[in-house]
Amino acid sequence: MAGEVIYEVKNVSKRYGSVVALDGASLKLHAGEVIGLVGDNGAGKSTLVKVLSGAHKPDGGQIFLDGAERSWDSPRDALEAGIETLYQDSGLAPHLTVSQNVFLGRERVKKGILGWFGFLAKKDMEHEAHRNLEEVGIAVPASNRSVSQLSGGQRQAVAIGRSVAWARKVIILDEPTNHLGARQAGEVLQIIKAAKKKGLGVIFISHTLPHVLEVTDRIVVLRLGRIVKDAPTSEFDGDTLVGTITGTIQTIKVEGD
Amino acid sequence: MTDSNQLVAKVRGLVSNQASILLGVLAVLTIVFTALEPKFFSIATANNILTDWGSVVLIAVGQTFVVISGGIDLSVGAIIGLSGVVSAYFMANILGKTSATPADQAYGPLLLGALVSVAVGAFVGLINAVLINKARIVPFIATLATMGAALGLSVIFSSGMPISGPNDFNLIGALDYNWNPFSVAVIIVALVVAVTGLFLHKSRFGLYTYAIGSNAFAARAAGINVERHITKIYVLSGALSGLAGIYVYMRLGSGSPSSGTGRELDAIAAVVIGGASLMGGIGRMWGTVLGTLILFTVQSGLIMIGVAPDWKKVVVAILIAAAVAAQTLQNKNGRR
Repeated sequence: MAGEVIYEVKNVSKRYGSVVALDGASLKLHAGEVIGLVGDNGAGKSTLVKVLSGAHKPDGGQIFLDGAERSWDSPRDALEAGIETLYQDSGLAPHLTVSQNVFLGRERVKKGILGWFGFLAKKDMEHEAHRNLEEVGIAVPASNRSVSQLSGGQRQAVAIGRSVAWARKVIILDEPTNHLGARQAGEVLQIIKAAKKKGLGVIFISHTLPHVLEVTDRIVVLRLGRIVKDAPTSEFDGDTLVGTITGTIQTIKVEGD
Repeated sequence: MTDSNQLVAKVRGLVSNQASILLGVLAVLTIVFTALEPKFFSIATANNILTDWGSVVLIAVGQTFVVISGGIDLSVGAIIGLSGVVSAYFMANILGKTSATPADQAYGPLLLGALVSVAVGAFVGLINAVLINKARIVPFIATLATMGAALGLSVIFSSGMPISGPNDFNLIGALDYNWNPFSVAVIIVALVVAVTGLFLHKSRFGLYTYAIGSNAFAARAAGINVERHITKIYVLSGALSGLAGIYVYMRLGSGSPSSGTGRELDAIAAVVIGGASLMGGIGRMWGTVLGTLILFTVQSGLIMIGVAPDWKKVVVAILIAAAVAAQTLQNKNGRR
């Protein structure tokens, strides 16, 4: 189904004081594959996301991108390597316009001396932001409107569209369908499918299990800091997934590689 | 029919535009004060207002960046005093130029004094940034602390007395009292304001300032080095306050430890009247420029119609409250 392994973590651990948040987790993500990362609160999902996105350095374990071992000192490092992360509800600056948000951190500057002083090529960015968003199927009314004037669904679409437009390898989406209505959530899932079609590896973190079952190729279940199940989505239905998450369904533990 | 509709739309657009509202307020104030005291409408008054404007608009411009980024800088007034006495000391005791130095030999020393003054301000700004970024002290308290320290140091440094030095008072006077109320110093200040305004609205530096004030988390996630940008903003605010320090020095012919006391209130008032939000993410340079102008038009007008000068601070306080209340109402009506 999917391409080569693009992103991999091997046996990563992270503890906060005496609390073990992540205990020897290993994960492989292929190009053009959507992985669902699920688990109860406190299962270690957000810790794993932070390790994957470069926000936290693991205490132990290895990270591989395109087969080469890497280490992230900051989210910026991971970003520059082609890994985009969208955190829940806080991806956009509400007072900035759509295009300013799309280009935030990657602004295009004017040519010549003005560019040297950091003066921005506003029109260029507006046009391109619009085109980038359209490419992943998002029609935003006007890219020069401030984000606070958009609806919640449009905002989320812009945030994800931005990640998809920029991601070169991996895109990590933390609860992207939270607080969205059914139709808007459907649009978000459409964008995830577009990202998959682009050949990106997608990590989709969500509590909304029907969305996970709908859009993912593989589901990874975390419980108490450990990965307790990693299997194709076709092996799950709603009940078995809930059972695996809560632990009422016994899972065979696979130790290391 | 369509024409009149377009006209209505145009008028609506104008009224909703913050700058036109502020210009309208300024026009109304001028008319009211002129009606009450015809002498108000004169080149001399305009020169007075502009001279006051010059001393506060620089710190208000720095404050605009700080407020848009979601912070506040209370140290700006104290920096005027500290940078003024330090640069006066430098010009008088190190360069050996005094108030007896002929005006045409004052320009070189004044330029060097300006550099010292800006450096002192930038240094205080850097301390603000370290307190905020490294010690994790909220801006209000961090800059309150440096405000106190700068006030104290300027009194210690000057033994509480103004230090006089070289000057050319022509630089601060109107170019022509018959028709041109601008002074050389005010024109220089206006140019500095214009350039910083371009940086706020057209450059990456300005964009990051808005982004951090709007959502610091998103800014960080987008790869912006938030701490470094905050440092730049407070250093800029300090440096502009230092520039205001040499301006005030030129006005007085001496560096006085108390010459900027309370000016931070004027700066914050100007920024807020200009439409910036103390919550961050919102503000325009035009707003600050006009806000400062309104502030001093009111103050000059009140004095000219015979209100005791002591009422000035009360009026500034009322203006801040009114501006913030107006903002809140505007936001409630769904406009930003």
